Amino acid sequence: MNIAAITDHLPILMVAIPILFSALMMFLRSAPSVQKVINLTVSFGLLILSILLLINVLNNGIVVYEIGEWGKYGIVLVADLLSAGMVLLSSGISFLALLYSMDYMEEESLGSTYHSLFNLLVAGINGTFLTGDIFNLFVFFEILLLSSCGLVVAYGKGGFTKSDHKMEATFKYLVLNMISSFIMLVAIASLYATVGTLNMADMAAKINVMSETGNLPWHIFPAALLFIVVFGNKAAIFPLHYWLPDVHPSAPSPISAMLSGVLIKVGAYGVLRIFFLIFDGTLYMFQPIIIFLALVTIILGSISAVGQNDIKRLLAYSSISQIGYVFLGIGMGTVTTIAASLVYLVNHAVAKSMLFMASGSIIHEAGTRDMRKMGGMVNSAPFLSGMFLIGAMSVAGIPPMGGFIAKFVLFDSGITSKYYIPILIALVFAVFTVFYMIRAWQRIFWGEVRSEKYDEYHSHGLSWKMSVPILVLSVVVVVFGVYAEPLLSIAQSTASQIIDPQAYIDAVLMREIR
Amino acid sequence: MTTLITKTISKASVPLIILFSISLLIAGHNSPGGGFIGGVMFAASLSLLYVVFGLDYIKSVLNPDWGKWFGFGLLLSVLTAFGAIFFGYNFFRSSIKFIHLPFIGEIELVSSTLFDIGVYFVVIGSLLYIFRKVGDDK
Repeated sequence: MNIAAITDHLPILMVAIPILFSALMMFLRSAPSVQKVINLTVSFGLLILSILLLINVLNNGIVVYEIGEWGKYGIVLVADLLSAGMVLLSSGISFLALLYSMDYMEEESLGSTYHSLFNLLVAGINGTFLTGDIFNLFVFFEILLLSSCGLVVAYGKGGFTKSDHKMEATFKYLVLNMISSFIMLVAIASLYATVGTLNMADMAAKINVMSETGNLPWHIFPAALLFIVVFGNKAAIFPLHYWLPDVHPSAPSPISAMLSGVLIKVGAYGVLRIFFLIFDGTLYMFQPIIIFLALVTIILGSISAVGQNDIKRLLAYSSISQIGYVFLGIGMGTVTTIAASLVYLVNHAVAKSMLFMASGSIIHEAGTRDMRKMGGMVNSAPFLSGMFLIGAMSVAGIPPMGGFIAKFVLFDSGITSKYYIPILIALVFAVFTVFYMIRAWQRIFWGEVRSEKYDEYHSHGLSWKMSVPILVLSVVVVVFGVYAEPLLSIAQSTASQIIDPQAYIDAVLMREIR
Repeated sequence: MTTLITKTISKASVPLIILFSISLLIAGHNSPGGGFIGGVMFAASLSLLYVVFGLDYIKSVLNPDWGKWFGFGLLLSVLTAFGAIFFGYNFFRSSIKFIHLPFIGEIELVSSTLFDIGVYFVVIGSLLYIFRKVGDDK
């Protein structure tokens, strides 16, 4: 096999390699050090492959990969700019989270199922982003749901989260997501009964024809509404947001970084893919709903975050309010606002993963999760203080960090699209973000020293495996802030591809069939 | 459940069920059957043993690590699917051969049978792992 063969098979390799190694890890449980080395190598390899995939898509247009060469009945994987970009984002964050978890996780947890489940989670995420078949999307949703449930109950060193909290959180997560899976199945079944295909591009073409001839059946609308429920649940949008502040804090920190950085973005990806591709003709009806839900999410998330004393709960509530901004951009639905919300999504993913990893190190340093018991840590942990400040500034939207560019582009595009009232509300609650992030930093790192040192945790305070991921991500945050042009231009072309899905449909339907 | 009647009947029926599950596995893919159904049937027969003879007795007779079975099945399935790439086809492409054997006639050999065997082991491993974990008192 030469290099050309690898580039031919890139999309499936992103899914198949993690599954292969998750099976291998089951047999290597007796050799934890070997597991660590292999898993890190695989994760880094996937990062390289995802970069190759994005370059390939940028140069050659949309890549369609036919699994099993079944002709027109088979499942296809489609990598357009959106998919390839999201895969690159998730591969980068998962590699860094894995590196971080090598020293963060408890050895016993790490040795049992952590590596297998992490690989399955990566496979589920990549598959969700790459698949071109709506039932396949459901399958990958299940894979990432079940594997992330297993990861939430894994233990970090020190045991700062009680196991009954973990069980309660996982139970909520599992039950709510099972219900949403069921709803998704109903929605997919009704779509299949209407158009007779599961291929998303084929579906889009058929529904386009129906709406052009005025034959759009009424049950397309409730089906689309069901998809809002499904993806809103994944992304923690307003009425279904309450699982997130329990689940994300009780997961170990690298997994919180994965959940907040990548998993809730799966919901945003789903809305972008399903609504702008398949339900294009019904979008005029759902845009106000998405905007309304996004605004309520912003308001609820940011007000709740102000009242939190637990550092990870604060970050989780902040995630809710930030995903609201992403959905605000999606709901406004023009090329510039979607590009802005993509920029926002990337910046938030990077900054929030970094903040969760930094908070894990802070918890180890202070020996508690309660911010009231922290204080004065700027002397004992100057590195963490700087990194947390960078992340906090980015989430709050203070220049020169990436979050500033993201908020600026989002508000600017919203105003040019004449959405004055939503932008006003979002702007007011962006001030709350500044308040709670900077106050958290000030409570943890300034003031008098309040925490008694827990010396047993200091032995593994901050090794290079934990500081390097934080450092890399914070460098990325700053780079996105001071040199944002490449990200902006890629987001712009991605958004125009999303708004005009004809290229996607053609690439899937007009391919030569062997 | 440990009456003499259930013990005798399950001793007689479990080998038959296992044979039938293997025949379902091999028949599969194009006609009804396949790895999943066969695996569920195999797991059901072994869980009948667990129920009838009790967890402790079965553990003393046969106590494999069902997690390993799961891993082996997944590995076999993925490697089968990867095999197509090494022959220059797309992932998951199945190859098919017809072979004439004396006395038996024409036999259809499909590479996706290997995939189905992997699924068989995945289903057996996961179901029996869960079943035994739930049965344990710990």
